[in-house]
Amino acid sequence: MAGLRINTSLCIGCGLCVSACPQGVLVLEDGVAVEQDGCIFCGICVQTCPVQAISIEKEEVVDENIQYSGIWVMTQLRGDGSLLPVSLELLGQGLRLAQERGCELSILLAGAVDLQVQSEQLIQAGADKVYVCQDASFAIGLEEPYYTWLADMARTHKPEVILVGATDWGRSIAPRVAARLRTGLTADCTVLSIDPETELLLQTRPAFGGNLMATIISPNHRPQMATVRPGIFPLPEPIAKPKGEIIRCEPLAKIVPLLELLQCETAQSGRTLADAEILLIAGRGIGNQKNLKLMQTLAEALGADWGVSRPLVDAGWAEYQHQVGQTGSTVAPRVLLSFGVSGAIQHLAGIGRSECIVAINTDATAPIFSVAQIGIVGDCVEIIKEWLKQIEGDSTV
Amino acid sequence: MRIAVCVKQVPSSNEVRMDPVTNTIIRDGKQSVINPYDRFALELALQIKERLGGSVVVVSMGIPATARILKEALSCGADEAVLLSDRAFAGADTLATSYTLHLGIRKIEQRLGKFDLVLCGRMAIDGDTAQIGPELAEQLGIPHITDMEELLEISQEQLVCCRLADGERQRVAVQLPVLLTVNKDINQPRLPNIEGVLWAETAPLHLWNAIDVQANLKRCGLTGSPTQVVRTQVPQRDQECKILLGSVSEQLKVLQHLLKGED
Amino acid sequence: MESLIRTMDDSLAEVLRDESRNSGRAESVSFPRSEEEVLKVLAYCRSRGISITVQGARTGLAAAAVPYGGHVLNCSKMNQVIGCRQDEHGRFILTCQPGVILSELKKAIDSKSFDMSLWSDESKACFEKVRKAERQFFPPDPTEASATIGGMAACNASGARTFAYKSMRAHVDRVRMVLTTGKVVDVRRGQATAQGRSLELSLLPEGLLQLDLPTYQMPLTKNAAGYYVEDDMDAVDLLVGSDGTLGVMTEIDCILVPHPTFIWGVSCFFPREQEAVEFVIAARAQVADLVALESFDGNALQLLREQRLMSSAFSRLPQVPEDYGYCIYAELHGSEEGCMLEALKKLGDLTESVGGDRKHTWVARNEADLALLQFFRHAVPESTNLLIDRRKQVCPVITKLSTDMSVPDDKLREVVAMYRRGLAEVGLESAAWGHIGNNHIHVNLLPRDEDEFVRGKALYQRWAEAVVAMGGAVAAEHGIGKTKVAMLKSMYGEKHIQEMRAVKVAFDPLQLLGQGNLFPVEGGEQQ
Repeated sequence: MAGLRINTSLCIGCGLCVSACPQGVLVLEDGVAVEQDGCIFCGICVQTCPVQAISIEKEEVVDENIQYSGIWVMTQLRGDGSLLPVSLELLGQGLRLAQERGCELSILLAGAVDLQVQSEQLIQAGADKVYVCQDASFAIGLEEPYYTWLADMARTHKPEVILVGATDWGRSIAPRVAARLRTGLTADCTVLSIDPETELLLQTRPAFGGNLMATIISPNHRPQMATVRPGIFPLPEPIAKPKGEIIRCEPLAKIVPLLELLQCETAQSGRTLADAEILLIAGRGIGNQKNLKLMQTLAEALGADWGVSRPLVDAGWAEYQHQVGQTGSTVAPRVLLSFGVSGAIQHLAGIGRSECIVAINTDATAPIFSVAQIGIVGDCVEIIKEWLKQIEGDSTV
Repeated sequence: MRIAVCVKQVPSSNEVRMDPVTNTIIRDGKQSVINPYDRFALELALQIKERLGGSVVVVSMGIPATARILKEALSCGADEAVLLSDRAFAGADTLATSYTLHLGIRKIEQRLGKFDLVLCGRMAIDGDTAQIGPELAEQLGIPHITDMEELLEISQEQLVCCRLADGERQRVAVQLPVLLTVNKDINQPRLPNIEGVLWAETAPLHLWNAIDVQANLKRCGLTGSPTQVVRTQVPQRDQECKILLGSVSEQLKVLQHLLKGED
Repeated sequence: MESLIRTMDDSLAEVLRDESRNSGRAESVSFPRSEEEVLKVLAYCRSRGISITVQGARTGLAAAAVPYGGHVLNCSKMNQVIGCRQDEHGRFILTCQPGVILSELKKAIDSKSFDMSLWSDESKACFEKVRKAERQFFPPDPTEASATIGGMAACNASGARTFAYKSMRAHVDRVRMVLTTGKVVDVRRGQATAQGRSLELSLLPEGLLQLDLPTYQMPLTKNAAGYYVEDDMDAVDLLVGSDGTLGVMTEIDCILVPHPTFIWGVSCFFPREQEAVEFVIAARAQVADLVALESFDGNALQLLREQRLMSSAFSRLPQVPEDYGYCIYAELHGSEEGCMLEALKKLGDLTESVGGDRKHTWVARNEADLALLQFFRHAVPESTNLLIDRRKQVCPVITKLSTDMSVPDDKLREVVAMYRRGLAEVGLESAAWGHIGNNHIHVNLLPRDEDEFVRGKALYQRWAEAVVAMGGAVAAEHGIGKTKVAMLKSMYGEKHIQEMRAVKVAFDPLQLLGQGNLFPVEGGEQQ
């Protein structure tokens, strides 16, 4: 059976693995490391052991000996039929991966409306092939027609890699397809590349609450699937000589979608944090809800927007629409003031495109300082209070 | 109305920090909890049961200690709980997990009949992939709806719900059975009462291993996981950060200039 | 010296207020970062005869930290835990500077992670033992967790768990205190004990303090009124709870205990106060593992219901079942789940026996649920404060009138009846909640205008006298500070007040420290 193997003859009982294990699963007994329940096979102990006494053994499950080839990107359309930026961002990544891998980049496009314009846009952006499927079912069946089609296409054409934008829609279809194809899916990747030796897709994402990065592979299952959040990758540059082909696909086999979309309306969006020009963000270092209120007051006084890192939403101090980070909003303000945020990777992923980040934290080693242009090692609440005082002073003058 | 709710035991805080001096993991010593998103799913199930009658079964895959959170779910009003626990299940990614969960659900259905509804929290605060819901629906062969925000109508045969996805509010109708994933704050999860807590001590809590659910070992746990971690590391960064010294008012001056757009 | 002693200006105006909602005045402020700087500040003030008010986080409710002229010595920059040791009983002890914030300390203890850069090697070695030991815990739990250790030691803070764990004093093993004379007192438990009411304290670098301790008998209830004195007492117990009148604490050694394996919270609802009181009397006699018994009366519950509708921040609160006029929160700490379940069952049986319903209870067995119940409990005083703030805008002279009185166990029914009678007679709005397990209920009078405010204060005074006659304490946990100086006198009488003053003068001959705390300043009581 697969599992963690500790070679007790090699183990020197140093205990480094015990301290390194994020689940607290390893203990020292009679001078050697012993595994208890709860191992999640993250592999940190394997890396940490100075004498390579620990390994993870896995039975090799060999897939059918069929050639899988090609990088695929599944696109998503807005209600008005235009392509979401994330689709183009992934196309850009897909081009790079296809080059590294020496294969073709194919884009998948499905919808109920005429898709000629969008297809050409994708060709112009550099796709080698665009598979287009137009069918009325795509308008009423929620995600079901999309994942049905994508899975069918994947079975037929056997791509090596499928990338999907990690929008709500993408996060509904990608896992459904992955389960249907019995393959692996890595969510919210922040870095993608092809390993030159193994030729596998290296899928890197934040782990363990965001202070570590984990690189994941799907060695024996195809296609290798990954989702990526909008705004992580840049939009691609236009390419010099587009030369792809558009391939029209058969409409869907007569499926009656089980889900019926009765009505659809744009949720009251207005401005979102993504539109913010100046943004104040509070992290756990803000201390308590009273102080958070002070920051909100400051934001109002400065004509700025405000957001919070995830722990504050989890704690119920603010609603989800104010969450900034990978699982919240991705923002790109001119100035971002970060109050008491430590800088978990998911949060940093959400603010990375800001022009200027100012980090204020009492902990000089907080990761937020590694992405900030300007930093203050100090009490964020003091700064807020002082600023408010100055503003009040100015207004009474 | 038969409802299955999938729950996961997660660490109480989402942070694993490293002590910079000793390079060891700092654990905050707090106990594991039921994934917050799953509590909202459980509360929804209990409310539906109150309205339409029926039974609520809570299902989880985890280490034996997970029984504690299942008891908490029972004390809130669930009728039965199932813990799928076996070393063969360990190290599972979402594909293997959804496979195992579906086996547990199938086994309960042998006795109770098919579930009309399967509810999951949108995601787990530790893995946060949000993949289990759709993958489990695929394993069960039923449709799924993610990001459910509000249940508008429900009967023994069908439901209409409202979901919020990518900035759009959608009203969706579906015949049962269906799997729903729910977001946070759709309701207020109830606290158990004394009677519930005492009842949960002797309530049906089944502990099933790989043999009990006739698992194909090739599809469970680490063996059944297409994905695996090859490397974990602290991210490299090369941003130069200018630390402002001086008094708070001096620091503020710099910030105020920055806001105005001055250098 | 210039930078240490700062002239008072608007940017420092915060230091003139504390949570009692009183506001004072001061000419200068300092934020010393070390004992050395504290000594400098005291020397400066001593040479000029300037009075000194010591502050922590200013979360006190009796205005002890509010200055009425003179200098403010604010300890917030002395906020480090500076050492760790283990005593002969195997208990772990942390040496804290006075400005350490309680919530920060608790977090650090939970994650077993401190900034040890300035620690001695012995402390670091001891901390390795802490790391390997079971989870640790510092029991004192005043509602306002942003309080400082220094402030908590000065007023002998209490919280819900004081019912079982006792107040701050029981968890302090050593106090190091700087006096206005420039000498230092550094005493560990067991090192200096009184002979009868005669206590001798060594001073550093040299010297001796001969103290004739006051001769009163303290009430046998939860008490934070005046100096703690009893026959053959330990010197540490005198220093804790001295309300900023004897010296400036620079180091306080806090005793940790193993964290209980199980912490469960239960909220029970009752039709009326009478039933709840009977429940409390039975529960504290019969339920094991009980560490807290807190009460919320019908008016408090109604305030919460209204607040919940008004403010989104409160919408997270669980909904209080209708038709219930009283809520009791009980907390259980234990190491055996079987015993915890037994205790829970007993609470359920007792609830039913007085007319409550086991199904109308809330049980919290994990951190998130416990936090929710705690949020519920804290929302009660917060709602009251918001109500008073609203009324204050119409009538600025109004302030919250909150009693802080406790009586012996056998007087609970009597004192509750007295409160209700008084409120009915005077016709005032009120909301009552508190540590009913210790017979220590805060009755909050909610005046609507000046006339009611005046009548409220008179009622409060009458109650104080009655409570003293019952053998109770007039300041059970908030301390006397400045706001209850008159009550201290009613409690003990002039002779004993003079005895206390004599002790103070022994420590602080020029009587510069904490003017207005415990003792009236020349010219009468501060308001």
